[in-house]
Amino acid sequence: MTAPVGREAIERLADAALERAGRSAAGVEVVVQHAAGGLTRFANSQIHQNVATADLSVGVRVVTGDGRVGVAGAHTDDPATVADTVDRALEIARVSPPDPEFPGLAPPAGHAEVPVDDATLGMSPGGRAAVVRGLLDEVPPDFEAAGAFSTDLSELGVFTTAGQRAYSAVTSVQLSAVVTGPSSSGYAEQGGRALTEIDPAAAGRVASAKARAGASPVELGPGSWPVVLEPAATGTLVQFLAYLGFGGRDHLEGRAFTAGRLGERVVDEQVTIADDALARETVGLPFDWEGTPKQRVVLVGEGVAVAVVHDRHTARRSGGASTGHGLPAPNPYGPLPVNPIMAPGDGGSVADLVAGLERGLLVTRLHYTNVVHPLETSITGMTRDGTFLVEDGRVVRAVCNLRFTQSILAALASVDAVSTETAYASELFFGGSRFPAVRLPAFEFTSSTTYG
Amino acid sequence: MHEIAELALDEAVAAGASYADVRGVVAEHESLSVQDQRVEGVARQTSRGVGIRVLVGGSWGFAATARLARQEVLATARLAVQVAEASATAQRQPVRLAPVEAARGTWATPHERDPFDVPLPEKLEMLLAATAAARQVTGLTFAKASADAWRTTTTLVSSEGADLHQTVLQVAGGVECIAVGEREVQIRSFPNSFRGYCGSGGWEDVAALDLAGQAPRHAEEAVALLSAPDLPAGRDTVVIDGNQLALQVHESVGHALELDRILGWEAAYAGTSFVGLDDLGRLRYGSPLVNLTLDTTTPKALGTYGFDDEGVPAGRTPLVVGGVLQSLLTSRETAPRVGADATSNGTMRADSWASIPLIRMTNIHLEPGEGSLEQLLDDTGRGFFLTTNRSWSIDDKRVNFQFGCEAAYEIRGGRLGKLYRNPTYAGRTTEFWGACDAISGPQAWRVYGTPNCGKGQPSQVARVAHGAAPARFRNVTVGVR
Repeated sequence: MTAPVGREAIERLADAALERAGRSAAGVEVVVQHAAGGLTRFANSQIHQNVATADLSVGVRVVTGDGRVGVAGAHTDDPATVADTVDRALEIARVSPPDPEFPGLAPPAGHAEVPVDDATLGMSPGGRAAVVRGLLDEVPPDFEAAGAFSTDLSELGVFTTAGQRAYSAVTSVQLSAVVTGPSSSGYAEQGGRALTEIDPAAAGRVASAKARAGASPVELGPGSWPVVLEPAATGTLVQFLAYLGFGGRDHLEGRAFTAGRLGERVVDEQVTIADDALARETVGLPFDWEGTPKQRVVLVGEGVAVAVVHDRHTARRSGGASTGHGLPAPNPYGPLPVNPIMAPGDGGSVADLVAGLERGLLVTRLHYTNVVHPLETSITGMTRDGTFLVEDGRVVRAVCNLRFTQSILAALASVDAVSTETAYASELFFGGSRFPAVRLPAFEFTSSTTYG
Repeated sequence: MHEIAELALDEAVAAGASYADVRGVVAEHESLSVQDQRVEGVARQTSRGVGIRVLVGGSWGFAATARLARQEVLATARLAVQVAEASATAQRQPVRLAPVEAARGTWATPHERDPFDVPLPEKLEMLLAATAAARQVTGLTFAKASADAWRTTTTLVSSEGADLHQTVLQVAGGVECIAVGEREVQIRSFPNSFRGYCGSGGWEDVAALDLAGQAPRHAEEAVALLSAPDLPAGRDTVVIDGNQLALQVHESVGHALELDRILGWEAAYAGTSFVGLDDLGRLRYGSPLVNLTLDTTTPKALGTYGFDDEGVPAGRTPLVVGGVLQSLLTSRETAPRVGADATSNGTMRADSWASIPLIRMTNIHLEPGEGSLEQLLDDTGRGFFLTTNRSWSIDDKRVNFQFGCEAAYEIRGGRLGKLYRNPTYAGRTTEFWGACDAISGPQAWRVYGTPNCGKGQPSQVARVAHGAAPARFRNVTVGVR
């Protein structure tokens, strides 16, 4: 069971901090976060790690009349420690030089409400174990399963002396599984805001079927291949593209490919990507860490680079308004689109995309992807948990994992099809959302391995 | 915190735990960031809480809370037991812990000047001087500088009688010089990428870096890289600088030798390992020159401590000797899989009170060879010298890797010559280490901190370190783009 701290208790903590800091500072922002939940992890088809945590933190940002800023934070609900934290922020501000670019604190603004799932809050350690057992029951005896099931609550309150008083709670669930056989592995993932997104038996069946289909893979050499990227692999491209191109700060400083290119066609017209924390395809809060309501921002509209996201600082520099993408203060990295989603197309299912592939590769998932060249949006990583050769629209055999080194913009410059179906997927460095699958005419694989 | 930890321990045992350990942790972090002459961030974070780990019926449970009122702590201890009881419903093999002497005592990182006591203006002045020096270079677009300090105080008590108190003090500092050109961004970092120098110790180690003195040379290189050619694709001899080899060790040795990965416990997330238990004493990991050591006692290294989060004392374990695999990174739970009498080599760490301890690589060093870098270059004649990590990627079995560096130089006539940008190199782990035919000596050997090692679910970030000297590798794939 996970109990919310609730708006009132969070406001009490925040108001005490606001009142104390307000005696000395010209402006104060207090951020209170409560994160609680459980994660049950399994490997070799048994639960091997199982945790339940509850954390409460208070962050205080103060600004003096001459623009000196100080930030301090503490994980506590102890009033005396909160008072100490306020005093520390004031002391930091006192000895810091003025920041002429400080954009001020968030003013009052309403925000959307997001639903909280009572079933997620009610999940006990025993309930999580039952979900895991439900998945393991679907795994054949000659295979092993590993993965995790988590149920979480996050409450965030942002309060400023400029008048903003924002509070929201969000629940999230995530189930992932890798099923491993003698020569192959398969993967499945589910997630979202509510427990109804979780079907452990289906996850077990999907991952097991993928692992069985991947048995006895053959090694392919490097080369350019037409591909169908399943939703998890598509998600990696989308999330890296959003990260590399659509943060307001990198854009303003010329360190993003979008610098000087907004309004230009950058990828195929079948590609539309938006950052939308409130969409059902993702899990996000309705306001950012500065208290600004989150806006849906179309990053790429029908292939054209449309807009980047802003926090209060980059909005001030660019002469616009914050889009609600500020990160926790102090933030030297600038705003980022943390809930990117890609619009589905009319290509049907993954199987339909495969049926349209004359000869190419079906890629389940990408692994440990990292940036090679940020302005070229070039990334490298590996395929894993199911890579298959397709001929005449049918999967004909499994192939060993391959390394790709590929510009995302180049990969998406020409898109054969985007699936109608979407699936939830997360990436090592990013959160989870639902993504479609895509069929691309060319994807560059630069080396190989000897295993699937 | 000791009283709270004892309270939780007693409650966990009373609720049915056959084994319990409790960590009370107070963690402080100060981070300073400047860009050019603007102070972008000054922050102090304090985190305190208690993490309770229990065994019930041979299964693990863990619960943690930041709310330290008596009733909250007691409830959290009981919750840990309930979590373990739930774990037991999907158990195949009960947990057995290797023995460890129940240690009592204290340990603290040696240092001269506590970074938290250094006046903030003094620290900011050092960073602003570094960025000012860098911006003197024509053509540089930005200069960033940063400094960090971490103090982690842990009280560990266990139902076996451990009672330990440890304070680890860590510092970081560095400067990044950034040049933006037409469709190019080039970065040169000093003394390393990703927060610069990172080590355990006091502020004296950051102050000694002379960031302002070193910044102009790196700024000039960043600007020069904008007009340098890309490193050409092909196969060639490379000499890899110690700061890049440190991450090579991290990805292709450190993670690969974590016994929990080898046993499949990380399979669903970061992956497993190409190494098997049968490889001990047999697998040729690299050439006979390659010696790799786990050493949690290395002075000033970022992964140094007195005891791990299971109360196992720090120590030194040869992992690869003469190129042959000899040992792995173990814990009390995993060590018995190596042998009935095997004990943990003390690598279990959690990144906060809210996390369970996992096997982490702490300090893993490539032992030095002979001679200076200049002698190595002279002996090499022709090839490429690659320095300072920019990107990294490796497969889920830790075999197929590809790294990007900030800069490369042609080696011609035994000297560094023409500058190349966007260098990458790629390979397979044992082939690569097998192609090592020279390692510079102790005079070129340094310890490099890696402050951002990720592992586990929920994800944990560990601060670890690797000692390395520049080394030469033959017939390596370079210039993959």
